[in-house]
Amino acid sequence: MRFVSAVAVLDNEAAQALADPTHRKHPRMLAILAAAAGRNRRTAGSVSVVVPTAVRVEALLDRGAPRAAELGRLRVSDVPLDTGRADRAARLRSAAGGSTVDAIVVEAAERLAADGGLATVYSADLADLPRLAARSARPERILIRRL
Amino acid sequence: MAAFEDLVQALDRPPAASTVTSVRQPEALRQAMRAAVELGWAASSNDGLNQAVRVQLEAFAQRLALDAHYAAYPDSRPGLAEVAQALAELDHSPLAEHPELLRAAASEVLAVRPDADADDVVLWAASLHRHGFSSSSDVTPPHAAAGAGRESRRT
Repeated sequence: MRFVSAVAVLDNEAAQALADPTHRKHPRMLAILAAAAGRNRRTAGSVSVVVPTAVRVEALLDRGAPRAAELGRLRVSDVPLDTGRADRAARLRSAAGGSTVDAIVVEAAERLAADGGLATVYSADLADLPRLAARSARPERILIRRL
Repeated sequence: MAAFEDLVQALDRPPAASTVTSVRQPEALRQAMRAAVELGWAASSNDGLNQAVRVQLEAFAQRLALDAHYAAYPDSRPGLAEVAQALAELDHSPLAEHPELLRAAASEVLAVRPDADADDVVLWAASLHRHGFSSSSDVTPPHAAAGAGRESRRT
């Protein structure tokens, strides 16, 4: 059987919900983390949970602050924005509209799905993300899920 | 917890510096790694070993962090059905559109195997779905009756 990796990409509210134990969606986010951890127990490294750095800015999540430190402990890793990624996100946004952060989120999902993996974006905003994902290079491997 | 913080901080540190260490390895494992490198496992035995250790440590740290989080916030611990729902979503499985079936499968699986994980539940639900069950009301309960209420078992 071919090994297929999976990645959960967190949008603004998903990242906030994970960082804040009092958030009403916190248990839902922990279920996603637990699913990743359970699968990684069977096949280490098969599921990752990531947050684009632009999302952390929007969500006001400073990894150096106590509120966001749990993201690091739970092994939620950053997807940094470099020149190439910014260019790609700009092209996606030109083609499909949406906010700057939405375009960066879909670019991250597109990149992570490029090697045959499956990307699931968790967001509270389903207005623009599906349109951006449809314009990505891997629309069949990117799903947008309501948080 | 100091050791755990050390673990997390070390994993997060950029892998710029490296140290030559002496590791006692079984000879057979060393030969297996050499053969695996020839087969494309990694660029070198050293790379493959480091990568394998890293993913294992990442998985270990994630489990420890979740356990610590549940200890600090017991109400945040999700049930097995909720974790199975998330796993189906991450797999892009059509079962993600059948949360009732996943709940029923979690209940049934726990009646048979109390230490089941989300993969067990998704597999069981896939079988139920293949045989025409699409909701919890379709699932006749010999096991579900025994496991009634247990689908919310904490993971």
